[in-house]
Amino acid sequence: MSAVPEGRQSQAAAPGKRGFVPWLTRRLGLVDTMEDQYNRIVPRHATNYIYCFGGIAFVLFVILAVTGIMLAVYYQPTPATAYQSVLDISTKVQFGWWIRSIHRWAAGGMVLLVFVHMLRVFLTGAYKAPRELNWVTGVVLFLVTLGFGFTGYLLPWDQKAYWATKVGTDIAGSVPVIGHFLLVSLRGGEQISAATLGRFYALHILVLPAVIILLLFGHFWMIRRQGISGRL
Amino acid sequence: MLIVLVNASRRQRSGVTRRGFLKWLIAGFGAASLAGVLYPVVRFLKPPAAVSGAIGQVVNVGAVSAFPAGQLTPVTVNGQPAVVANVDGAFAVYSLICTHLGCVLAVQGDGLHCPCHGSEFSATGAVVTGPAKLPLPPYDARVQDGSLLVGPVDLSKASYPGWYTGEFK
Repeated sequence: MSAVPEGRQSQAAAPGKRGFVPWLTRRLGLVDTMEDQYNRIVPRHATNYIYCFGGIAFVLFVILAVTGIMLAVYYQPTPATAYQSVLDISTKVQFGWWIRSIHRWAAGGMVLLVFVHMLRVFLTGAYKAPRELNWVTGVVLFLVTLGFGFTGYLLPWDQKAYWATKVGTDIAGSVPVIGHFLLVSLRGGEQISAATLGRFYALHILVLPAVIILLLFGHFWMIRRQGISGRL
Repeated sequence: MLIVLVNASRRQRSGVTRRGFLKWLIAGFGAASLAGVLYPVVRFLKPPAAVSGAIGQVVNVGAVSAFPAGQLTPVTVNGQPAVVANVDGAFAVYSLICTHLGCVLAVQGDGLHCPCHGSEFSATGAVVTGPAKLPLPPYDARVQDGSLLVGPVDLSKASYPGWYTGEFK
């Protein structure tokens, strides 16, 4: 980027610059890369608040990852103990009610923010060429976020969780031709059982996080390559 | 303080520059914020005695003779306050946590009294006087070799107050 104001140059790694980050940047051979990142100028039209939704959704994802790891310390994914372990988190573990509440509210917030971010991208036409692929990864990211919500909903193993999952997997079962296969794959059998809980837990804490991190990496890499879309 | 910072001669004497002072101020706020986040995380990870092994754990609360007939005796089960009721040789154990807002109940005569809002419970855990609406959740209790063994709260028998189960109503 040209026309960088004086004093903003070489923040990352001027040869003589002291401090840990410049030192690390030089050692890792990232001087040019970091220079490029530091010197990027956000277009004036993109400093509007409506351009913040995607970033907020990502912050919520980080919060969900941290609180989710913490909840996994005490949660026990078996039908006999799931409900009791969730009660224990909320009533006996110190700050457990807090961490669980953050996880739950951030989960709802992330679905909302991802959707609002999607609306912004749609309404500003930011999905158009050359950014079609980023729109596609974004749509998949939205579906993965909904997948997180759906699988996480079963984990407390209460009545609401059980019946919501019954309805949700029944809907999957209504798909023509492959419906029954989907239903059995999701439930781990014909009925909702310990197998369902195990599957949903594995999806929620292992499969979906791996998928979302890969997709997020692609999403962010593309926005850096393609730049922020132009003005309306 | 500001005057000290602005005054150049003083600045040279104390060695504190405006920039240095602000740097430390921001670093201090940052560290305080970080500590505020990390403190609950560390507390969360510390296993409370009540949680480790609370599921399915049966506790020996003492010899049967320690619980005379017709009396209510407070005990502790897995770190939680409970009460043993001996009704003519039949033992029942209830949580001592008020179902209204979670205060610990006190034994008063042949019933239980909440010091916070005045709820009264009978020796069978039933509500006598509000504001509590739900009976005390019972523990699983049985006598073995002259000792009273108390298991976890039996969720199938318990009707929990709304605040306890939150969304599970």
